Amino acid sequence: MKPAPTLSTAFLESAGQSLPKPLLDLRKQRGTALVDMPLPTRKTENWKYSSKYLKLTEDMASPLPSQGQGMTGQDVPGYRIVFLNGVIQPEASEFPQAAGIQVTSFRDLDDEEAEALAGQLDSTLDDKAVQLARLNAARFEDGLLIRLKPDAVLDQPLFVIHEVTADASGSAFPRIFVDAGRHSQATLVEEYRSSGSEPVMVNTVAEFNLADGANITNVRLTMEGDNVQHIGATGVRQQRNARFESHTVGFGGPLRRHDLQVRLEGEGGECKLNGVVVTQGKQHFDNHTTIEHVAAHCNSEETYRNIAADQSHAVFNGRIHIHQDAQNSNADMNNKNLLLSNGAEIDTKPELEIYADDVKCAHGATIGQLDEVSLFYLVSRGIARREANVLLTMAFINELVEQIPLETVRETAHTRLNQFFDQTFQEV
Amino acid sequence: MLSIKNLHASVEGKEILKGINLEIKAGEVHAIMGPNGSGKSTLSQVLAGNEAFEVTEGEVTLNGENLLDLETEERAREGIFLAFQYPVEIPGVSNLQFLRTAVNAMRKHHGEEEMNAAEFMKLAREVSKQVDLDPSFLKRGVNEGFSGGEKKRNEILQALLLQPKLAILDETDSGLDIDALKVVSDGVNALRSEDRAILMVTHYQRLLNHIVPDYVHVLAGGKIIKSGGRELALELEEKGYGWLGIKDEETADSAAN
Repeated sequence: MKPAPTLSTAFLESAGQSLPKPLLDLRKQRGTALVDMPLPTRKTENWKYSSKYLKLTEDMASPLPSQGQGMTGQDVPGYRIVFLNGVIQPEASEFPQAAGIQVTSFRDLDDEEAEALAGQLDSTLDDKAVQLARLNAARFEDGLLIRLKPDAVLDQPLFVIHEVTADASGSAFPRIFVDAGRHSQATLVEEYRSSGSEPVMVNTVAEFNLADGANITNVRLTMEGDNVQHIGATGVRQQRNARFESHTVGFGGPLRRHDLQVRLEGEGGECKLNGVVVTQGKQHFDNHTTIEHVAAHCNSEETYRNIAADQSHAVFNGRIHIHQDAQNSNADMNNKNLLLSNGAEIDTKPELEIYADDVKCAHGATIGQLDEVSLFYLVSRGIARREANVLLTMAFINELVEQIPLETVRETAHTRLNQFFDQTFQEV
Repeated sequence: MLSIKNLHASVEGKEILKGINLEIKAGEVHAIMGPNGSGKSTLSQVLAGNEAFEVTEGEVTLNGENLLDLETEERAREGIFLAFQYPVEIPGVSNLQFLRTAVNAMRKHHGEEEMNAAEFMKLAREVSKQVDLDPSFLKRGVNEGFSGGEKKRNEILQALLLQPKLAILDETDSGLDIDALKVVSDGVNALRSEDRAILMVTHYQRLLNHIVPDYVHVLAGGKIIKSGGRELALELEEKGYGWLGIKDEETADSAAN
């Protein structure tokens, strides 16, 4: 039998030394642990449908430049943090300055703060489930730390722009850690973008640690170009009565993978996870979500919609795990899929594991095509077939896009979705 | 305006229309009556261009142009409008967006400038009032959660906005209470004009009290078996379809009740 391919050692050689010592130490230790890490194959259960898209060539191991031209921050309706190839650009960023709120680059932490952070990194993620995202801890060059003291409320949304310049092959490893104190509240928008056309990888981790009653909204827009492999993980831990809301909008690429893991560890916790994915051409997108109902009386509500055109491939795997003590859990998962062509593929898999006996748990998954009757109704009013297709396809995801809490982010999503549809229905 | 000659059509291999002949001139209102299963709805759907129905024989021209050669959307732009018996609910597409897209498709086809959102909103609000539909319905999904009557009023709203040459009303009176019937009829009567024709498809003659037709045709077994003036409808109402030797259980039932 052929031995399973392992991660090239080139990926474990970090270049930058700009982090405080405790984080450098952590990084080294994590790197050592990843030596000989097997890469996922078709037989790796949680990469079954996606391993064939993963192409980590050795020249992608090199770090991308941490400084670049034209990083004048775009206008955003809130605070702005700009990462360029995984490194925060202070000149292009606008950090919030408010009592009880610390927003800092990992590089600017003193040793004591860095020590504390090192103890927390990766604590929200299930290592086994996110093998490849573990690489981030071995390679990050910078990161954004957000600490919200009890009752602190971030008055405006914080936009984190992750820009990758793919003028040469390489990788970027941006990272975010949010520590939300008791009853604190914030909205964080992550936008992933790219320029250039060389093959690159973005390997990104965002973590949210929510104390009692904290309320965090996270919007995640994955919109890099067709040369970018994106491997991302988001980890969430929620204590008593904490609430987490996630809205993801993703456009396909050569490889797109997002793992979202939520642990409801305190009673009364609530999470709402909405996701929209559109793929075209030969693109791919794979969403893997896990909700751990650890404590009793928690609610989770998950709605994902995939649209796949041409020969593209979308994957949704939604796992809900209700632990033995999690009585009175309420979990609702729904995944609807729309295939726009015969060559497109969508794989969807709900996974329910329930050990408590008094729970309400519902799941549903459907795969369908555009409704002919609705289509006839629209064209019978003189609407062009192509436009009718776009209207119906948008309708399929509008319900979720409309729930994105910020109008400007909604508009960004709409604009990008319209561009997508302009290309998708050209031949119809 | 509309000329149908020896029209045969089938669905899933089963022939429903078996040789329809009908001439409709501009300014006229025709009613087609007939029992369930006689082919009334099939005729409406075929004229609008539903691909689920296959035309196997015959021809249809609209102002001399071969209608059957046109795609559904082209027929609509040439002036065919079908008010659906069962209007489709489309959640996620707002009624306003749908209506504006349709109106602008027509305007573009006629070389007119497209209407912007504000202009269209003003127009749509006015026309909504005409069919007694609260403007809040414009913001909802197309027909989403509308009652039967609201759906029918939304159909007439579309006809008023699109100003077709030939409006086909498929069982537009079904499911309407008397007030809604009045509103819908007023809307249809507002459409009546010298250069427009209306084709009403209905089971009952009730609607014809409000929208008085110039001609009435009886459709049975896929053919028009009798044509006449308005009095034919009244005669049918009185005597039932059995009078013409047609079996119609529903009519028989309702007569018995």
